[in-house]
Amino acid sequence: MTLEDQIVRITSRLVVPFIQVYGIYIILHGHLSPGGGFSGGAIFGSSLVLVALSFNLEVGAKQISHDTSSILESGGALGFILTGLVAVVLGGNFLSNQAAGFPMGEAGELFSAGAIFIITTFLGIKVASTIITLFYNIIEEEDKSGASH
Amino acid sequence: MGLEQHFPALIIAILFGIAFFSPLLYRWARKISAPALITALTLALAMSISLLIQVTQGGNITYYLGGWPPPWGVELKIDLLRVYMLIIVLAVSTWIMIYALKDLEHELKTEMLGWYYSLYALLVGSMAGITLTNDLFNLFVLMEICAISACAIISIKEDRACLEASFKYLILSAMGTGCFLLGVAMIYMVTGHLNYDLVSEALPKAVELYPNNMFAAAALFIVAFGTKSALFPLHVWLPDAHASAPSPSSAMLSGVVIKIYAFALFIMFYQIFPRTLLDSIPLNEIVLWLASMGIMFGSIFAMVQVDLKKMLAYSSIGQIGYVFLGIGLDDSMAMAGGFYHLLVHAIMKSMLFMAAGVIIYSTGIRQIKQLGGIGQVLPVTMLAFTIGSASMIGLPGTGGLISKWYLALGALDIGRPIFVVIILASSLLNAVYYMPIIVNAFMQQEEFEHEAKPVPRQMLIPLIVGMAAIIFFGVFSRPVIVLLESAMQMFF
Amino acid sequence: MELLIKILHNYYYMVAILLFIIGMHTMLTHSNLIKKVIAMNIMDTSVFLLFVAIGYTYGGEAPIVREGSEVLYVNPLPGSLMLTGIVVAVSITAYALSLIVKIYRYYGTVDYDEICLIRSQE
Repeated sequence: MTLEDQIVRITSRLVVPFIQVYGIYIILHGHLSPGGGFSGGAIFGSSLVLVALSFNLEVGAKQISHDTSSILESGGALGFILTGLVAVVLGGNFLSNQAAGFPMGEAGELFSAGAIFIITTFLGIKVASTIITLFYNIIEEEDKSGASH
Repeated sequence: MGLEQHFPALIIAILFGIAFFSPLLYRWARKISAPALITALTLALAMSISLLIQVTQGGNITYYLGGWPPPWGVELKIDLLRVYMLIIVLAVSTWIMIYALKDLEHELKTEMLGWYYSLYALLVGSMAGITLTNDLFNLFVLMEICAISACAIISIKEDRACLEASFKYLILSAMGTGCFLLGVAMIYMVTGHLNYDLVSEALPKAVELYPNNMFAAAALFIVAFGTKSALFPLHVWLPDAHASAPSPSSAMLSGVVIKIYAFALFIMFYQIFPRTLLDSIPLNEIVLWLASMGIMFGSIFAMVQVDLKKMLAYSSIGQIGYVFLGIGLDDSMAMAGGFYHLLVHAIMKSMLFMAAGVIIYSTGIRQIKQLGGIGQVLPVTMLAFTIGSASMIGLPGTGGLISKWYLALGALDIGRPIFVVIILASSLLNAVYYMPIIVNAFMQQEEFEHEAKPVPRQMLIPLIVGMAAIIFFGVFSRPVIVLLESAMQMFF
Repeated sequence: MELLIKILHNYYYMVAILLFIIGMHTMLTHSNLIKKVIAMNIMDTSVFLLFVAIGYTYGGEAPIVREGSEVLYVNPLPGSLMLTGIVVAVSITAYALSLIVKIYRYYGTVDYDEICLIRSQE
């Protein structure tokens, strides 16, 4: 291990938790401020990509296994659709929010805006796991083809 | 009002739901993943038939997603033409999937099957969305989903021809959607709306104020949908993509996917653009002549092919020309003919690709030359191939005749007999390349020299259903034509 | 002269169209597959820029409603639409790149002309 490796590793080890917290913050405040499921999920996902890049693929894969990430990926999308269906069951149109009786809460509070909050959370999960899966799929395919990286 | 008022959204939700659920199912309960997909498709089909009944009884249906009415929310709209398209998409894709369950087992690696089901459901869901949506931007997103999943069901086979073909398809369809989005930007710039109805209300004034803007949008739309549905000079991606894909994917792509975009172009021309725009620039003429060239050249290219699936793919370029001919002719009878051809071609081309798939499954032959005498070992398959070819040529008693008949009547109606000549000439050309295969398959004296695996019943039953459907639509065409003519009332 | 003034007034449209044409031309004429993907992104981005430019209002603020303030704000719709567009472009790019990796595995090159050459020799 060279000195450069160590610098990169220690820095990324320091930075990654903050990136993740920031990603979660963006996801959870999707209904209050700019950002939301996609941006936050991309930030969260790229933190795990950073781990894999600065250490190696095995350490990265230890953080979240391929199975988990692909299950989360399907689960996030399914959660979105289920939220829409819950609205139908509650008597509104597909994906309706206040009309179906989701609790609105106080505007500006964290737990407000009913279905939007739930949907952004699912979206964040989906996007984060998609970014990770995409990264690993491309990297591993490249490994098989014997290209250098 | 019960659950049936939510059917428009539920059809799309159930298809996208199963798309995300089937990888999980394939991981945890491999046995039920295929039946689950079939169940979801059948459920969606049942809902669409219920929508047809609702529309014929109570008129058009609109559905507001999230309960927000148009200027704010996204709207789904169901009228007769759309429900007709929806039923074609869902019925044909269910039918192909039943065939695909057996065929895919030998064409794909086992661990890929779950992903194939997922992509297939995504493709069907996005096409159902394209038929139902009433919003330009929604259409763009659904077109991209459709493009990705269509490319992915080609490249999932993972041989070199598939990968290259699917990349070519991806690049060209990305160009198509790029052009479409630019066209949408042009429209949004002058109208400030994305909803079809609101746009079509605002456009007549916009055409007067900013004619160049709208001309550009119309041109971009022709390029976009022309690329995606392989209108003649923009067809270059189609032969490779459709020929190298696994047979069920070819059936799906040639049978349904390219037609969805022809339908979308129809909606753009006759529902969104005002008549003054269509009159001031020769949009219809452009589409008509491109379609005619496609009909002729598609058939001519098909004649020189040596690969069976490639021949079928080139024939699709010719056949999509008929649909565009119907759109361009601007006459309700010709349009009914064009949309009838859309139905018939969806059935017959899917069936021909399935028959080709059975031939490849059983004997491994792809070359047309080697097919001599194959009728002795695969009688049912070759019978299906014969009936499909007869319908392509337009022999009496098959659905192909009816659509060409109405197209010709429509062409005479508006005084363009030249297109009748083109239709007749292309029928002759179709006969030139389909007949030798059939004659060789049945009439050759020598024994068929290749080995033939027995074909499972699950692959033959869809072929028999297809044959029955072609003959049914050739004999009892009246109800569908009546439905189409009343659907066309809206646009005139 | 009048045309020139019009163009100068609407220079952001011109830039978007120029980028679109650059992207489309590169995508269709260059034989390197990676360059095709980059050009596809340029093309998409040009349309995003055009959309965002349409929605912008001079002197407008971010469209967040505050108590008792009626300010001029930019149209939020094009921005949010283009966010969706970016997501779509990202997914297309990811798929195209993974296809290129696979193509490289099978053909040993990412140049389309060479791929055609290899295929013609088969």
